[in-house]
Amino acid sequence: MSELINLSLTDQILGLADKSFSSKEITGAYLNEIKKKESLNCFISVFEKESEEKALMADENIAKNKARPLEGIPIAHKDIFCIKDKKTTCGSKMLSNFISPYSSEVFSKLDTAGAITLGKTNMDEFAMGSSNETSFYGNVLNPINEKLSPGGSSGGSAAAVRANLCSFATATDTGGSIRQPASFCGVTGIKPTYGRVSRWGMIAFASSLDQAGIIAKNAKDAAIALKYMSGFDQKDSTSLNEEVKDLQKEVDADQEHIIGIPKDLIENIKNDQVRDSFKNAISILEKDGAKIVEINLPHIEYSLPAYYVIAPAECSANLARYDGIRFGHRSESVSSLEDLYVNSRTEGFGREVKNRIFIGTFCLSAGYYDAFYNKALKIRNLIKSDFDEAFKKVSSIAMPTCSNSSFELGSINDPVEMYEQDIYTIPANLAGLPALSIPSGTADEMPIGLQLIGNYLEEGRILNLANKFQKLTNFHEFK
Amino acid sequence: MSLNNWQPVIGLEVHVQLATRTKLFSSSPIAFGADPNTQASEIDLGLPGVLPVLNKEAISHALKFGCAINAEISEKVIFARKNYFYPDLPKGYQISQLDDPIVGKGSVEIKLGDKSKIIGVTRAHLEEDAGKSIHDLYSNNSAIDLNRAGTCLLEIVSEPDLSSAKEAVEYLKKIHSIVTFLGISDGDMSQGSMRCDANVSVKKPNDQKLGTRTELKNINSFKFVEKAIIFEIDRQIKELEKGEEIIQETRLYDSKKNLTRSMRSKEEANDYRYFPEPDLIPIKISKDQINEVRKNLPELPEIMKERFMNSYELSDDNAELVTINKETASFFEEVLSYEVSPKNAVNWITGDLFALLNKNDTNISESKVNPKHIAEIIQNIEDQKISGPSAKKLLEIVWSEGGEIQELIQKEGLEQISNDDEIEKILDEVISENQKQFEQLKSGKDRLQGFFVGKVMKKTSGSASPQVVNKLLKDKLSK
Amino acid sequence: MKITEQDLKNISLLSKIKIDEETSDSLMKDLESILTMVNKMDELDTSKIKPLTHPIENTQTLREDIEKKDIEREKLQELSKEKDSGFYLTPKVIE
Repeated sequence: MSELINLSLTDQILGLADKSFSSKEITGAYLNEIKKKESLNCFISVFEKESEEKALMADENIAKNKARPLEGIPIAHKDIFCIKDKKTTCGSKMLSNFISPYSSEVFSKLDTAGAITLGKTNMDEFAMGSSNETSFYGNVLNPINEKLSPGGSSGGSAAAVRANLCSFATATDTGGSIRQPASFCGVTGIKPTYGRVSRWGMIAFASSLDQAGIIAKNAKDAAIALKYMSGFDQKDSTSLNEEVKDLQKEVDADQEHIIGIPKDLIENIKNDQVRDSFKNAISILEKDGAKIVEINLPHIEYSLPAYYVIAPAECSANLARYDGIRFGHRSESVSSLEDLYVNSRTEGFGREVKNRIFIGTFCLSAGYYDAFYNKALKIRNLIKSDFDEAFKKVSSIAMPTCSNSSFELGSINDPVEMYEQDIYTIPANLAGLPALSIPSGTADEMPIGLQLIGNYLEEGRILNLANKFQKLTNFHEFK
Repeated sequence: MSLNNWQPVIGLEVHVQLATRTKLFSSSPIAFGADPNTQASEIDLGLPGVLPVLNKEAISHALKFGCAINAEISEKVIFARKNYFYPDLPKGYQISQLDDPIVGKGSVEIKLGDKSKIIGVTRAHLEEDAGKSIHDLYSNNSAIDLNRAGTCLLEIVSEPDLSSAKEAVEYLKKIHSIVTFLGISDGDMSQGSMRCDANVSVKKPNDQKLGTRTELKNINSFKFVEKAIIFEIDRQIKELEKGEEIIQETRLYDSKKNLTRSMRSKEEANDYRYFPEPDLIPIKISKDQINEVRKNLPELPEIMKERFMNSYELSDDNAELVTINKETASFFEEVLSYEVSPKNAVNWITGDLFALLNKNDTNISESKVNPKHIAEIIQNIEDQKISGPSAKKLLEIVWSEGGEIQELIQKEGLEQISNDDEIEKILDEVISENQKQFEQLKSGKDRLQGFFVGKVMKKTSGSASPQVVNKLLKDKLSK
Repeated sequence: MKITEQDLKNISLLSKIKIDEETSDSLMKDLESILTMVNKMDELDTSKIKPLTHPIENTQTLREDIEKKDIEREKLQELSKEKDSGFYLTPKVIE
């Protein structure tokens, strides 16, 4: 049965439909693999029994010709998405006892589409981290080389897809948390336009930047999965009330592409292998007929500082609700209200989360708001304008996902060095643009990703381009 | 209290609970007095992953208020997070407004005897209410009830234009009357639907600068507003005349002892770290929308007063009295719908009925007396079926027991004796019993006429028509 | 950028998170290096630029004022360690 888990989502859907295999078989195969590769630490929870039961029901539906679009497809959710009556930890001690009374819209939509939830994937605590090392549940190992990091914060989801532990996995991206781990694990990850996927029931890190997306084996799979996850949701005020395009169709459509290349940025890439592999990828696309245009994104180098004000500021408020009173970790040593607050929060949060709360609190505090927070918002505007200007001339923008391939676990201790992991991914979050990462080569024998950024609501276009690239190359293939 | 040439400067912050069915950012019901935490959903509790969605009706209510006080309306409504920790603030921040409040500068006019004064309204903004902390229920714990958390509030901030406690009360009454006439709040201070903080300072008439102010918190009745401000002005003057300085602080009014006392200052300076709420997108308010609200604005007290003066020929004072609140005005108009004279209606409502309301400290909508009662009492007097004293007696009966006027007249035997023969018989009796006085009357001592009428009334327990008695007496004198 | 002891005290107080003495030095170093990175923003003159809070400023859809009566207090309160008779409990607050 092990070949079932290697199949693409597209082939799994076909195979289930023509009854080449059953959901029971494919689900069982994934559950076996999860057990076998437990040491990778990809999952925080696994729902073995329930998945098996759901697989039987899925097979019944298929037998009765009542199959839903993702009927019987075993998937995994990042443990940031609430599922009713299930533990949702967000990788934190603070929520290690949190059984959600409601479900996230992401879960509900994929559940309604027929997907089976095998379990919930490991992640950096509250999605803050780029190596999966901040998780209360320990770090995830990169399935390609277990000494290395899978990236973060959606490291569990990326590693689970790479290790064939699920057909695809949901993930979230605030500053690169889908694309960077996808790049490190040699898989495909897409963060759609801000507001395309509902944030309801997705535990907040930085509300104006957080966006749910997909990590999958390839662009086509990602397109299918994303299609069933997207859409307007009345429960999320920032949700876009716009029609969901048929990404499944668009990913294979015959489209012309004009790709913008930020020349200065590319010339400044320090890692030769990353630069060369990027140029190689672009020349493959150019040979295939894509038009390549040099563009200028003059303010992009200010993305990182702006992000590290905005995201911590929002996080400092979003994480104020963890006070030990109504839910979450409550300290045992409490003799006053102040104790309850301080001890619960000091015990419940890990170091990186605390760092970000401190930074955010500082940047918003009296006397610093204008110099930090307001300034960052103005830079955000400049960055968005840079992109708006560029998209007048091009249909997508290409750059590397990350300035390096995966690094050894425990090797980066300086916070700023860790933050620089997201230097190329952050701009799309600040501007709210859709962006994806696909494997495009290697550096130091580990995968690296090509990042494609699209205009607002143009997920289909970058997926189409990614699919084109994957038809021409085999960087994305793995067993 | 002697002002001794000091000038009080007062500004009020009035929190009005809007009469919506659900909360500002959630669909939770807002029943007053419900069991603790039964009106608090996952959104109101601030559980992880929940999101706010703004109540349409709250916007509409705020716009009505803005139009009613001729205020500037913001084209773009932005919400902000106000960050602080307190157990009855579940998220650790309150969603409020800082910049771009929905209602900008406007004004109201208050009456002071026969003079009037314009009071500036600085702004009015929407915000969510906090829950309640109950400290006296358990010996070692405080109890938290979040039913009120998230309820819609409109905070109306006045300019420091008020210069006495009396003016403050008049202003508060004006705001009360506007919000109740608009139907945007029930204005019930006893249930906390209207709460008031007062900023009080004093200065010498020639001082350009305002004195240091104190903030009086939560003074929740018209009576206490007046008393608290009077006390505080007096306290400040005494301090200043002793050569002491006023400390800028928050003070609580103790209604039992009639004094204000300093609230224990919090251990940290208030640094609320306001920043734009990232879970909500700015709301655009169009000119059309504002015009629509303006067009459909319910009749406000001033306009209603004018109409009453013109259509019913009421005096300024009487019109003012019956438009004191919405309930009284509707009561008055309903009495008129029975086609009784407006003058009689005003006299009965503002005279005898108001006296009963004041004596029993209640309001018109809660009394057993309905407009039909008053109308029928007036009709019976106009038709000379009952006497004035009987009418007063009837009112007292319906006040305490309710009932039908016609039935009560029968039951209590209050029907007026207008049969001339019967009255003449009684008058003859009275004359024969008081021969001496009758002779004096005959000889020109006119003031004895009342003596005879009174005697007849007494013998008939008030049911004789005084007009008839007078007429008969005159006949007898001229014989 | 320099962070003072007082800054550290202040953010600890505002965020209700303890900073113990052992880690305060390394924390201060971390925060300083982050803020130094952030200070790169100063290179740009943004005096004429408007702040942007949301990448996409479509007007949101508002909610109709209709009650949802599906609150299950007992279920929600299973999440809390300290509650009684429907109340959440905290150590006593002396006003």
